[in-house]
Amino acid sequence: MTVNQGNTAATEASSAAAFSIHPKDGFFLGAFEAMASPCEILIDTSDPLLARHITELACREAQRIEAKYSRYRQDSVISVINQSAGSQVAIDDETYRLLSFADTCYQLSDGMFDITSGVLGRAWKFDGSDNVPQAQAIKALLSHTGWQRVAVTAQSITLPAGMQLDLGGIGKEYAVDRVAGMLAAQIEGVSVVVNFGGDIQVTCRRQHDKPWFIGIENPLKTEQGETLVKIFQGGLATSGDARRFLLKEGKRYSHILNPKTGYPVENPPRSVTVAADTCTQAGLLSTLAMLQGKDAEAFLAGQGVTHWVYR
Amino acid sequence: MKRKLVGILVLMGVTQLSGCASLGVQPWERDLLAKDEMALGAEGVDLGLDDHIYFSKEATSGGRSFAGGGCGCN
Amino acid sequence: MQLKNKGTVATALAGAACALLGTPAVQAEEEMLKDWKFDTAILYYGETDRVSLAEGVISATKTNDDDSLFNVKLVIDTLTGASANGAVAQPYAQTFSRPSGKDGYVVKPGETPLDDTFRDTRVQLSGSWMQPFADTWRGTGAVNFSREYDYMSLGVSGLLEKDLFMRNTTLSAGLSFQFDSIDPVGGKPMTMTSMLTPTYNEADDLFDWDDDYEEGENKDGSDSKTTTDLILGVTQVINRRMLMQFNYGLSVVDGYMTDPYKLVSVVDSSGITQDVIYEGRPDSRTKHSFFWQTKYALDNGVVDVSYRYATDDWEIDSHTIDSRFRFNLGDNNYIQPHLRYYQQSAADFYRPFLNQSDATPMYASADYRVGEMTAYTVGLKYGHKMENGHEWAVRAEYYQQDPKNAGFDEPGALADLDLYPSVKAVILQFNYHF
Repeated sequence: MTVNQGNTAATEASSAAAFSIHPKDGFFLGAFEAMASPCEILIDTSDPLLARHITELACREAQRIEAKYSRYRQDSVISVINQSAGSQVAIDDETYRLLSFADTCYQLSDGMFDITSGVLGRAWKFDGSDNVPQAQAIKALLSHTGWQRVAVTAQSITLPAGMQLDLGGIGKEYAVDRVAGMLAAQIEGVSVVVNFGGDIQVTCRRQHDKPWFIGIENPLKTEQGETLVKIFQGGLATSGDARRFLLKEGKRYSHILNPKTGYPVENPPRSVTVAADTCTQAGLLSTLAMLQGKDAEAFLAGQGVTHWVYR
Repeated sequence: MKRKLVGILVLMGVTQLSGCASLGVQPWERDLLAKDEMALGAEGVDLGLDDHIYFSKEATSGGRSFAGGGCGCN
Repeated sequence: MQLKNKGTVATALAGAACALLGTPAVQAEEEMLKDWKFDTAILYYGETDRVSLAEGVISATKTNDDDSLFNVKLVIDTLTGASANGAVAQPYAQTFSRPSGKDGYVVKPGETPLDDTFRDTRVQLSGSWMQPFADTWRGTGAVNFSREYDYMSLGVSGLLEKDLFMRNTTLSAGLSFQFDSIDPVGGKPMTMTSMLTPTYNEADDLFDWDDDYEEGENKDGSDSKTTTDLILGVTQVINRRMLMQFNYGLSVVDGYMTDPYKLVSVVDSSGITQDVIYEGRPDSRTKHSFFWQTKYALDNGVVDVSYRYATDDWEIDSHTIDSRFRFNLGDNNYIQPHLRYYQQSAADFYRPFLNQSDATPMYASADYRVGEMTAYTVGLKYGHKMENGHEWAVRAEYYQQDPKNAGFDEPGALADLDLYPSVKAVILQFNYHF
């Protein structure tokens, strides 16, 4: 075995990828930053070369997706669409599939999940203060939302002027599943956990059928840190409003906005974690549950998926 | 001839029974076995309470786990 | 907003995610580990006209991030009521002294003598640690301590498990050592010697002893026993729905196994009691048990059947069939009928009574629990999982023991009396898991 003993970290630095790998008890941990989140790759191997290879592949793919779909990157596909001022923009197959998925989510949720609703966030500053915006301001922003007004074909998209797309609600989960799918296809039989800031996918079972143990943030006990999840395979995602809210006259406004009213959803849980076959599926179910407010538990119970709700 | 055939059949039966290839499941086939209620020790509290009752009312104990003692009720 | 019908969102999303990612998904399998999981239960066990027991259990389990498991369990129970003292019924009223020797009780004609002195509280504390190691091994260490008024028990045990063939086969070997000490109320009676019975003075409701009582009965001190258990087991996954377990158990007990509160009647040829003596049992016992269990997963439930055969050098052989059938009613409810049948043969020293004309044997016990008997249990459990993930369940069972005559002649008066009355009990239980 050629594993470095102790906790020495081998750090790779290049223009394309900056990541590190760390030997752990029976597996390797690869770490890097992407999509404003700490990203971790757990690799069920004792071979540092394989661990480095896998981590580098994961890091490259995560950075590719971030560069392509982040609205904070001036040259991203999303930025180009957002700056199109109502003109038609050509899109590739991957972008079309993402927009189709967003469309499915919009239909399934009767418009509660809407990737054009991001502009509503301009009115709301969720900093714990009592700055609840004026009704007119919200009404003005609502006129710039509505996925049904966007025209999408397999080759192009036309976004009405003044509207904005934000893939924040599905981008990270998509990246997790893309990375996991790529690793599963390229490196067969090695169990890998892809964990981008709590959105998780496990590619396949570990050797000897051992589970992975992964800590995820629990809003009810931020001091103590994390809740432990025992996971054999599949996806896991968490939505929450930890520390992002407004307080006015004793009323707590969560940062989960209802795209139809422009106002925060009432009584959403503090956090919802869902287990599903894919991270993308889990992420959407947890988001949709949050949008249900006080009915989040009933919604999840009706979906027959494993879930954990904290209020 | 007939005896030989029977012998072969018996041998096949034995190899089938003892060969682990025919028993067990692949890791991804554990969906049903992984359920809580399929664990051998499921309802451990009930089993413990039952053991205590039957230990104190009958002459035999244990089997599932240690026969033990731990109570002056017998 | 009103989302679409039950489950359809998750199903539609699964399809959409598959179209988005282009890869078939693996089935999710995961669980959130809370810091501690608690299993609690209260149980009531009540026999018609005899003992009743109330028992409370709190069991707390923690799973650590290396899959090791820590469990602590506290059990408290209180026992009240009467139990058979071993003496036979008689056509006239009988008087017995209480174990303390300071008082007595009278049993009506024709009734099975029951001693209603018993009132005891037991506290039991146990802890265990299970540690996986070297990928396919698990080791478990456990300690337990139990204390009641006249009894103390201390035990340690260890279990080693090894997974083979992709966890389809598990071999296990366990060893347990238990030390029990008993300090009988009023002292430990000398076995097979007479119990001095008082005369009941009905006029002033007092029990009077003869003068020689001052010299004391043959009751003195305390005693102990040790139990060593060995268990060897194989668990085998048969297929996607079925798994099986087979255990062999060896149990060696050395020391005081006599029940200091149990008596044996000595009768004459007409069945009339001439003397009542304290029972005596051998001070060693070696038991073998063979236990087989299988569990089968139905689409909406579980079938759980086990059979145990046990045999020992007291010549008690027993057969036990225990079965539970769980039927899921939707995702969050289930009902579970329970059936159990038990049958045992009598110990070689079991005597429902002794004949005065025979020589006193070295050991004798009239305790129906070491005699021939059959017993059955029928029960029903209902369980519900709440929206917050907590679970509760209720269980109601009926348990009946039918002691049998293991071939003893019943001289004279005894022939007209019921020497083997059935014992009937109800069990009620409430569980809460969070």
